Amino acid sequence: MKKTTAPRLKPRRKFRFNNEDLWGYLFIAAAMIIFCVFTLYPVISAVYTSFFEYKPFGSEFVGLQNYAETLEFSKRNLFYKAAWNTLLYTVVVVPLSLLLAFAIAVMILPFKKKTQSVFKALYYLPGVASGVALSVVWLWIYDSSPDGLFNQLLTFLHIPTQNWLSSTKTSMLSLMIMALLSGHGVNIITYMAALHGIDNSYFEAAELDGATFFQKVRSIVWPLVKPTTLFLLVTGVIGSFQVFMNAYMMTGGGPDNSTTMIGLLIYNNAFVYAKYGLACAQAILLTIVIAFVSLFQFKLMGVDVEY
Amino acid sequence: MATTGLYSQHLDNKAVLHLRNTIVTIILVLLAVATLFPIVYMILSSFGPNVKTAGNMRSIFPSRWTLESYQAFFDFNEHTVRWIWNSVVVAVFTVLGNVVFASMAGYAFAKIRFKGSTFLFGLILVAMMIPYQVTQVPLYILVVKEFKMTNTYAAMILPSICTAYNIFLCKQFFSGLPTPLIESAKMEGCNQMQIFLKIVLPLSKTVLAVMAINTFMSSWNNFFWPFLVTSDPAMYTIQVGLKQFKFANETLFAPMMAGATLSALPMFILFFTLQKYFMEGVTIGAVKG
Amino acid sequence: MKKIIALLLCLAMVGCLFAACAPAETQPTGGSNTEPGTSTEPSTNTEPGANAEPDTIVIMAPPVTGNYIANLKVWAEDFHNLYPNLTVEIIETSWGDHNDKLSTMAQAGEAPDIAEVSSNAIGTYVDMGVVVDVSKYLSAERLADYDTNALNYMTLDNTVYGLPLYLTIQALGANKEMLEAAGADVAKIQQEGWTYEEFLEIIKNGTTENTFGFVFANSGVTASDMMYIFGAGAGLGNTFTEDMKYVFTSENMLSLLKAIEEMTQSGYMPNYAVEAGQRMVMCQTGNAMIFGKAMPLFESNFKTNNAALDANDGTAVEGSMKMDYVFLPSPTIDGAAEACYGTVDGLIAMRNNNTTDEHLANVMLFMDYICSGERIAACMNELYLDPVCQTGRDALVLEEGRDQANLDTASRCMSLVVAPPSGVTAEMTATAQSLMNEVIVPKFQLLLAGETTAEEVYQEIVEAGIDAFGEENCVTGRLG
Repeated sequence: MKKTTAPRLKPRRKFRFNNEDLWGYLFIAAAMIIFCVFTLYPVISAVYTSFFEYKPFGSEFVGLQNYAETLEFSKRNLFYKAAWNTLLYTVVVVPLSLLLAFAIAVMILPFKKKTQSVFKALYYLPGVASGVALSVVWLWIYDSSPDGLFNQLLTFLHIPTQNWLSSTKTSMLSLMIMALLSGHGVNIITYMAALHGIDNSYFEAAELDGATFFQKVRSIVWPLVKPTTLFLLVTGVIGSFQVFMNAYMMTGGGPDNSTTMIGLLIYNNAFVYAKYGLACAQAILLTIVIAFVSLFQFKLMGVDVEY
Repeated sequence: MATTGLYSQHLDNKAVLHLRNTIVTIILVLLAVATLFPIVYMILSSFGPNVKTAGNMRSIFPSRWTLESYQAFFDFNEHTVRWIWNSVVVAVFTVLGNVVFASMAGYAFAKIRFKGSTFLFGLILVAMMIPYQVTQVPLYILVVKEFKMTNTYAAMILPSICTAYNIFLCKQFFSGLPTPLIESAKMEGCNQMQIFLKIVLPLSKTVLAVMAINTFMSSWNNFFWPFLVTSDPAMYTIQVGLKQFKFANETLFAPMMAGATLSALPMFILFFTLQKYFMEGVTIGAVKG
Repeated sequence: MKKIIALLLCLAMVGCLFAACAPAETQPTGGSNTEPGTSTEPSTNTEPGANAEPDTIVIMAPPVTGNYIANLKVWAEDFHNLYPNLTVEIIETSWGDHNDKLSTMAQAGEAPDIAEVSSNAIGTYVDMGVVVDVSKYLSAERLADYDTNALNYMTLDNTVYGLPLYLTIQALGANKEMLEAAGADVAKIQQEGWTYEEFLEIIKNGTTENTFGFVFANSGVTASDMMYIFGAGAGLGNTFTEDMKYVFTSENMLSLLKAIEEMTQSGYMPNYAVEAGQRMVMCQTGNAMIFGKAMPLFESNFKTNNAALDANDGTAVEGSMKMDYVFLPSPTIDGAAEACYGTVDGLIAMRNNNTTDEHLANVMLFMDYICSGERIAACMNELYLDPVCQTGRDALVLEEGRDQANLDTASRCMSLVVAPPSGVTAEMTATAQSLMNEVIVPKFQLLLAGETTAEEVYQEIVEAGIDAFGEENCVTGRLG
């Protein structure tokens, strides 16, 4: 486990207390045990299953067949279409929603504590709205009839009404708008926490140099919240690659599979078609892609910023 | 107070200050409206008449103000209050577990240089990337078949008692703490546990509060897992319970909204309790070497 | 002080975890072996013919109707009194999530003994190898109680995999007064059916400035409803012919698509997608004359709304008017025989880690008990449907005030529902299902949005169908 390369040989007790490895393992022990049992084991099991045609009583080993089936080039293989849709969705939604959350967090800052609380509550608490209320409201917003909220808005602006979720021209756009207009409460709160952590002395120094507001944001705030941005970016991309609920609830993947996401495909294979092995293989391919994208993000954003 | 320095206080010109704040307020309120719409709709329709199915609910304000939907929610069956209680128990223990375990692990990955830390942290991140749809079956086998935990709080709490997401969050936050601070404490003979408890934790109220509220919210909104591991209506969480208001051909819409509104109350309480910690900031300047 | 508490808590939790882990560590590589599962159970399975041994039957069901679960509890109690050695445990699920839970449990090898499924999901579970042949455990005499037509829905590979709860028919509904004003002979349509041309003429007459002659909820996945309901009238009621050929590649499909294209562009129905929740509302507010999909049950929705309007208590649909509901059959397209779209929901018996023959016999006993007699009659009264077993029909006492013409139409339509031909395999249904979900419905949605033509959609379907089943297994000309 640990190599005894300590240069000075001290009495045993002392040595143990100085050992960073031991402390490290002690600190992560509980987390790792939980992780191994409840996360790692299911993951390994899923990897294992991806090589089988899974049946509850007697699976059959099929080697790489599930992977081959997933990646097979054919006109009707939905995997590539879903991959493209997912990528498009991620590239648009994740950066924009991060930027939006950052902008909102910065805009909340100049107010008094009380006002800040009110705004944070306004942005955060809608997260508790029940899923049913959410779906009713969003279906109403996107209703293609002239009664739909967005269509009423368009009529008001003298623009022809749209067939929002049911036209291939607007279906993906609708899902993106929905993602951008809802659910950045967590991101805002996380950014706020990071912003409050920035020490005032930085700004005082910049003020003396006569820096403008945007210069301060660019050269002080943005670099200092980089670890937070990295965190939100990586988890945001992971979440977005796995996105499932919106498509499932709003469009079911249609029309013409224009909103079919990989998450939906995996769900259908696992729960509707009972092709669990295939679902596992698709999930693992997805994971490999996400892992590479995340690695790229870590490299891009640099390693942790140190003070 | 930290960070207010980002904005010029315009001490010389109050009018500019007011104008700026007004513009910012307008932008913020406009953006908030879209986010708020569903919850406002939820709350208002819960005070409306006891309507079935949501198809005809195309107005924000109910046609008549009444509490009959709340009555219908409590009358639905004898467990409705228990469902909210179950959700509270599950969420509270999940939060406690994450605050303790994830912060320790996050600190270790951020500030303790131990062998294999990069590998283990990478492993945790990769595991987070696997879609839950495929890990659900093995997890179910583990919890239900091996541990025989059906209808227990443990079954609902344990799988999310220390999430990869929170470990990652803590690690990112702690890596922003000044290393010299920790080094100097070490020079003075503090061991890692002492450093963690006496120096790091007091500086981390903000991130712990953020973690607590986020974890509480996701535990509160979690539906599928509690649905899988409970079969006794007395053990349902509120999210599982609310789904019982939907039948093949109709939905008890207003009572469902009443239940959802009631179930939002603990979130509100928690949010405003933790509110002050969001503002604490990290007063690193005071201890910076 | 706080820190000490925190530490203690932490230690306690770690301790709990180690305790919890222990069973996992002792048998980590158990895999799918069934030994540990059976050994921990009280052994009910050793003695043959141990019918008097105590046994527990687990049933999992969603709230099929508002009272279904409550009724089920009563029936379980009654059953226990009949057979004191048998206890029934009920797992309540929620509507819409039932299948996800069942699928997870089945894949974990922990399926309940009895589960509610839609007939078109049976193939999935047969494929998994978790469904039990009913005829092996149920006497032929009891099985004969159920209508062959309904039983055929529960049959795959010539094996009966479950008992039917109900056969639900889906077609069209309308505002009676408006329909008569548009010149329709309502009684004749209900008794003899109508052609697509007659239907088109009537919706044309019914269309005014504020009213669509026809509205169909076709947004998202509900597009498939329109396809099935009008498909039945075009001779496409079943996916396979008697000689096991795939029918959606036939020219009947082209006729259907052309009719749909004509309807959507006619201006007699909205040219945009309509949400499921809106169709009945549009009818009730006078914004639509005929609507779909509709079930006989909707008569009760209209009655409730009329009562709410009388009571003026705010629960009525906003802006709605009092009206009578008529249930209408699907129109026939291009001279096809009249037919009606229907599906069967039923109960299946499932295999899990402690399944034995004796246990299964007990399971079937209970399954048969709740699918027949006054149990099913009570359930059908709530759904406005006819029972599909003789004992159920015998026990049925109709509730007061039902509309006779609608009742007769519903019975007539039920007789027009044709079960899938025998001999269809689980694999065939699976292929057909993925074709439907991944090709036909998506292209159909495109047609509804006016972004493609009937011809193009037909070409796509033919190509995909032939790819999937082979040309020799597809109908290419006209059917029948």
